[in-house]
Amino acid sequence: MGSVGITEVAEGEYLVEVDGRHERVYAAGPAHDRWAFWNGRVYRLAAQTAPRARLRRDRPAAMQAIAAPMPATVVKVLVSAGQTVKKGDTMVVLEAMKMELPIRATNDAVVAAVRCAPGDLVQADATLIELT
Amino acid sequence: MIRRLLIANRGEIAVRIIRACRELGVESVAVYSEADAGAAHVVAADRAIAIGPARASDSYLSMPRIVAAARDAQADAVHPGYGFLAENAVFAEACAAAGLVFVGPPAAVIARMGSKIEARRLVQAAGVPVVPGDTPVDQSDDGISAAIQRVGLPALVKAAAGGGGKGMRRIADPGEVLEAIPAARREAIAAFGDGTLYVERLIARGHHVEVQVFGDSRGRIVHLFERDCSVQRRHQKILEESPSPVLTPVLRERMTAAAVACAQAARYTNAGTVEFLVDVSRGSGDAPPFYFLEMNTRLQVEHPVTEAVTGLDLVRAQLLVAGGEPLPWDAAHISQRGHAIEARIYAEDPSANFVPQAGRLLLYREPRLPGVRIDSGVGEGSDVPVHYDPIIAKVIASAETRPLAMARLSAALRAFPILGVRTNVPFLLRVLEDASFQRGEMDTGFLDREGARLMVEDGEVPDFVKRVIALGVQAQDVSSAQPHRTARSWDPWG
Repeated sequence: MGSVGITEVAEGEYLVEVDGRHERVYAAGPAHDRWAFWNGRVYRLAAQTAPRARLRRDRPAAMQAIAAPMPATVVKVLVSAGQTVKKGDTMVVLEAMKMELPIRATNDAVVAAVRCAPGDLVQADATLIELT
Repeated sequence: MIRRLLIANRGEIAVRIIRACRELGVESVAVYSEADAGAAHVVAADRAIAIGPARASDSYLSMPRIVAAARDAQADAVHPGYGFLAENAVFAEACAAAGLVFVGPPAAVIARMGSKIEARRLVQAAGVPVVPGDTPVDQSDDGISAAIQRVGLPALVKAAAGGGGKGMRRIADPGEVLEAIPAARREAIAAFGDGTLYVERLIARGHHVEVQVFGDSRGRIVHLFERDCSVQRRHQKILEESPSPVLTPVLRERMTAAAVACAQAARYTNAGTVEFLVDVSRGSGDAPPFYFLEMNTRLQVEHPVTEAVTGLDLVRAQLLVAGGEPLPWDAAHISQRGHAIEARIYAEDPSANFVPQAGRLLLYREPRLPGVRIDSGVGEGSDVPVHYDPIIAKVIASAETRPLAMARLSAALRAFPILGVRTNVPFLLRVLEDASFQRGEMDTGFLDREGARLMVEDGEVPDFVKRVIALGVQAQDVSSAQPHRTARSWDPWG
């Protein structure tokens, strides 16, 4: 890439000159969680945080926390501690924005603990079920 | 004539209705929950009344609170918008009992058309074909299972009281029946307060074509042509257009006549929509059969598409007709010109199975472009609350032809930065630019089949985008030391 000139034309709006061609890029957010928009695409550069439960599935021996993907209300809990679940089994049903969201087992496992109850309002990343 | 209108809704539709009030010289009263203090519709209205906590059942769905707010504000009419209480006959009745004009059809008509069973009976009697289906008297899981067997797979289980895809399940395989029935029932109860289920044959390659109708209290009914809303994800419409790419003039004539016949049979007044499924797998040209699906007894999310091709203002007409005036248009003067297409922007993550997103809009800039209308209920700094439907904005592009309207919509979406919550914009762009969509070959199963292929990943971050991001990060790192944090290479104020 040749020369790049960046001009902030309005708050969060940048005109970028790439080899003589103009591109309009928008950016916002704190330093640890920057968002950018260009030509209908959105990019997010978040600083590394604690790994999410759903990323831990490649460590089968460890305790696995199944977390809420977003803030939601717990509608149903279909498993109890000690129960064996198969990959794909629905364990919890959440409701958010009028949609039901089944939370399924990501692999065959045993329920170590249930950390939610019907009616609970849970935050994103809150642990719902622990599996071993 | 309505003097002061309470809008029993939030978001973009409340803002849209407030705009019509302003044009007509009607005073507008917004209502809001604790999650919406300072929201766009609250700011836009002449007055605003807090009606309760964030939970919809304690605020936007609470009939006593809304009727009390209308009384406190000395409103003489209530507009329900869409969703929430818009198709609730009990609410329409409660408004009437409180001496309030309900902007919509009478409660009895809402009840009649709101019941899928009765609506089907009524339009069948009027000579309009319906999709094979069944509402079992036995509403137990076994009763619904038996109905599914009678109708045959693939089938749809739907909420008898609802619309908009809430409480609806598609069943292709007998193994899905047991999980689908209670889930559909729970969603139906949560969304509409009524768990009655209805089973219908699934027409896999149908076009969803709906006809806008409008009636006044003098019994006059007109249609305002069709909208094609075949691009649906989980039965939620995301792109809507008019005219439909699959209707010939002959088919259009037949379907609009059928829609008017439905409305007449229902003694319909005010704005309504008759939804049909056009079975394109069984004929082309004038030949495809069409079936009545349901009637929506309210203003639709996608009404701007009709406004764009007819040049008429539906909300203004709703207020006039509700105030006792005749329809402001003659059928002979309603025409369909050019092409319009609407995209619904939802706060959801297309790369994570479209999970709804909540959060603050860090940056939100609506483009101003000729031929592009944007209806929204948010602004930069707004919160998208977790409690309600995740629609952020609607972008409606109109032009002389379908390809030009699509190109205009793409350009508008590419110039519409929304940061802070993920949206479906990248996905919408992929659909708009898909060859089969561009040929008009999208049926209601299109996204179920092609959705995975159109799913978007962020892809490589272009170098120049990285540089802009880095610039922001550096600027913020030193922001505590320097008040003028942004590096400007050009500054008009010197």
